[in-house]
Amino acid sequence: MKKYQLGEFEEIVLLTVGVLFNEAYGVAIKEEIEKRLKRKVSVGALQSALRRMEKKGYLDSRQGESNQKRGGKPKRFFTITAYGKEALKYSQDVRTQLWNAIPEVALDLKFG
Amino acid sequence: MIKRIADRLFKWYCHPNYYPDIKGDLEELYADHEEEGSRYAQLKYLLDVVLLFRLSLLRPIFKNSMINDLDMFKNYFKISFRNLAKHKGYTVINIIGVAVGLAAFLLINQYIKFERSYDSFHRSAENIYRVTSDQIVDGQLGVRDAMSFNPSGKVLTDEVPEISEYALSYNIGRATIKKGESLVNEESVKMADEHFIAFFGHKVVAGDVGSMLKEPYSIVLTQSKARFYFGDNEAVGKSLHLFSGFDRDFKVTGVIEDVPLNTHYKFDILISISTVQDRLDDEAWGGFNYYTYVRIDKGTDIEALEEKLIPIKDKYMAEGSSLYFNLQPVQEIHLNSDMTFEPEVTGSKKSVNFLELISIFILVIAWVNYINLSTAKAVDRAKEVGLRKVIGAGKKQLRIQFLVEALLINMMGALVAFGIVVIVSPSFNNLVEMKIIDQIWKDAYFYAMLAGFALLGTLISGFYPAIFLSNFKIISVLKGKFRNSKGGVSLRKGLVVFQFATSIALIGSTLIVMKQVDYMRNMDMGMNIDQVVTFSNPTPQRGERDQMRDRVKTFIETLKQDASVLGAATSTSIPGGESNEIASTSGGVRIIGLTDRLDATTYIHTVDENYFELLDIELLNGRNFNKDMASDSSAVIVNQAFLDRFNLSDPSVLNEHIQFGQDPENDKYHIIGVLQNVNRTTLKKSAEPTCYFFDPVLHRSLVKLSPRNIDKSLELIENTWAEMFPTSTLEYSFINERFDRLYKEDRRFGSVFSIFSGFALLVAILGLFGLISFIASQRTKEVGVRKVLGATETHIVALFYREFLILICIASLIGIPIVFFGMNAWLDNYAHRIGFPWLVVVASLLIVIVCSLVTVSSRVLKVAAMNPANTLKYE
Repeated sequence: MKKYQLGEFEEIVLLTVGVLFNEAYGVAIKEEIEKRLKRKVSVGALQSALRRMEKKGYLDSRQGESNQKRGGKPKRFFTITAYGKEALKYSQDVRTQLWNAIPEVALDLKFG
Repeated sequence: MIKRIADRLFKWYCHPNYYPDIKGDLEELYADHEEEGSRYAQLKYLLDVVLLFRLSLLRPIFKNSMINDLDMFKNYFKISFRNLAKHKGYTVINIIGVAVGLAAFLLINQYIKFERSYDSFHRSAENIYRVTSDQIVDGQLGVRDAMSFNPSGKVLTDEVPEISEYALSYNIGRATIKKGESLVNEESVKMADEHFIAFFGHKVVAGDVGSMLKEPYSIVLTQSKARFYFGDNEAVGKSLHLFSGFDRDFKVTGVIEDVPLNTHYKFDILISISTVQDRLDDEAWGGFNYYTYVRIDKGTDIEALEEKLIPIKDKYMAEGSSLYFNLQPVQEIHLNSDMTFEPEVTGSKKSVNFLELISIFILVIAWVNYINLSTAKAVDRAKEVGLRKVIGAGKKQLRIQFLVEALLINMMGALVAFGIVVIVSPSFNNLVEMKIIDQIWKDAYFYAMLAGFALLGTLISGFYPAIFLSNFKIISVLKGKFRNSKGGVSLRKGLVVFQFATSIALIGSTLIVMKQVDYMRNMDMGMNIDQVVTFSNPTPQRGERDQMRDRVKTFIETLKQDASVLGAATSTSIPGGESNEIASTSGGVRIIGLTDRLDATTYIHTVDENYFELLDIELLNGRNFNKDMASDSSAVIVNQAFLDRFNLSDPSVLNEHIQFGQDPENDKYHIIGVLQNVNRTTLKKSAEPTCYFFDPVLHRSLVKLSPRNIDKSLELIENTWAEMFPTSTLEYSFINERFDRLYKEDRRFGSVFSIFSGFALLVAILGLFGLISFIASQRTKEVGVRKVLGATETHIVALFYREFLILICIASLIGIPIVFFGMNAWLDNYAHRIGFPWLVVVASLLIVIVCSLVTVSSRVLKVAAMNPANTLKYE
């Protein structure tokens, strides 16, 4: 049984929220991911991932200020919870373990 | 604009908690994108909105929690059940009404579906056309013949690129086949070429599709015939002995699946048409006796194509021929063909549409019943509605409550309807004389119709009562002031008028249909066909024609010697035949010296010297054939219809000569007599212009029996036959039976019509019964007061009667014109029709009046007899 459920996209979003620290809201996260990973992120995919992780308890959110550019609507800033951090750590550990378990040879082999 | 729509959409489906901040994000992105053009930004916005449609972001579907709603829903059902159980009589009337209406509707629909499905099962049926022959003279369309010449299919396929393949067939009809030592008379034998089976896509059970009808003397059986002749053994490779002109073995080369009933071209046995190849070559473009089917490329303009066929006709047919190729879609043959020489009696599109109309009326009557009864019952429910409203029920909830009641009634009705259909379907099949409904519980279409119309019925019949009942004003209702509103009463009266009008129209039409059929069966046909039995004489083998003639002559003479045989004759065709049971010529005809050549179909009937006398057909002028006059072999007797067509001013045509076609050799027939018109076939058609020729022995016999001891006479015929013609079967029929068979379609229509009109009346009466029960119970107080003030029982009953009689009068004002115009149009289909029978309309009106007054009396008499002391006690 998996201890923490974290999909690939979710992990990226979660990490990005961490990167942006107190400034992580929808558009900022989207742009950060697009900049760093060079991949397109739709608002829908991002928002549903954010709400899902908030429900799971990996993320916390607070309402921020609103401005004219946003049509008078407030921003919603996300921060990682302790539980979310644990999930990230767990996911990293699993990967490290797997990396270490690969015999050297397997990586050196060249297929040609 | 796009942005506004997208925004609306987003706001509609997005979870309200998430909406503000996601919307903020979208706005921000939109502002960023706007630099790249407004349109681009808007589209991008829309795309984002569409991609935001995710389960985790959706607005919850139910505002309140699910559990609560389910409880309320359960409650609707519970209350509805209690209500229906409380008023059992009312519930039963409603359910029976809905069930009978629905059952009748579904049964008729099965029939209609069957009639409309003719020939749709063939391989790409929509591209199959039948090549038929139209006679066109001076731009006037004359006789349309369902047959064509035997090379037509091949020539058209070769010369016209749009026509990709063809199939050729010939209708043999009956044939005698030997099974073991006994003889079997097969009713449905056809000839076909080697393309036929693949062309129509008949499923082959055994044998090779492409070659099974190639070789002469090949025979292909349907599965059930194969089982009949060979049991469970392999049929292919065996042989069957065929009499009827062949008297030789045919090799069974294939077995195909049974041909479905819904085709105009039914057969049990196919024989390769190459068997008669020499005849085909002989006839070529000389005779059109063959059914030809072609497949035309999809999307071809048929009218334009028919134009293209004219040069081909000119190339092949005799010069100046008035016959033109016509292409008829195969799926239209059954319901939409009025051609002569159809392989079987076709159906009528009009009748089918008519039945469809009836079925809808019956269903609507049943729904109207429900509306009527449930609004009439409103008084009973008014207090309940008021109380519910006080407790806090909204209109919506009340409406759901009443709709659920309608749903329950309709669903139970559907269940009963299903039972009714299953139970009556065998009798229905009997009624329409065809196995139309087979294993209905396996028919998905039927279930879909049943469920669909039960739901539709719920909405239609439940909608008005639901609105009506939920609109009561709390205060007036609870104060007890509530009475049925004026509007409600007149609506109900309107609906009753509708029901009566429909009943009058249906009953009137039914009686007219029956009267017309009766009229045709009993009309003076210009001959006496009583106790005349007919049969086909044995078909001579090749080269034995003269011998057979002698034997038939001896046979007839032998029969005549018996005292129970009053007379005998032979003829080429027998009265009461279908349109294809007589020969005809379309080559044009004229009376030399008297008339111009007339391009029209003339029927050719060859008889012996006893024929007219046997059937009591009167000669208007001239004399009968005489077998002792050698010159009579070129004599001709014409009938009145033949002469009428020429519009002759001088009716004396005796000893004039008739010329057929243009061949000058063909002018030898001299007229020796003029015959009164005789109806050879159905009275739908007017008398056929006919020329009678003479031949002392022909291939069909007619024997008139003495009315005493018919059984014994038949026995005599059978015994003599068995003695003289051991290799042929005797299939006899009486001429009046043959005529009855011609009216099968009409009779069938009449009986289907009458039964369902009966259903409609039953449902309407049922509704009336329910309605009068409620009205009577509501008006008990009024009746009480009237009685106290001095009204007698008679007065009170008359009061109720008067109300309903007024309604019936209004209904007849609507119903009678419908009958008049509808049935006059129907009667115009017949060459011999009855005048519009006003008496019948009065009769149908009387039926409705009597039925409804009896129904009204059943309740009103009781109310009128009540002691006012009892009814007024509580006031």
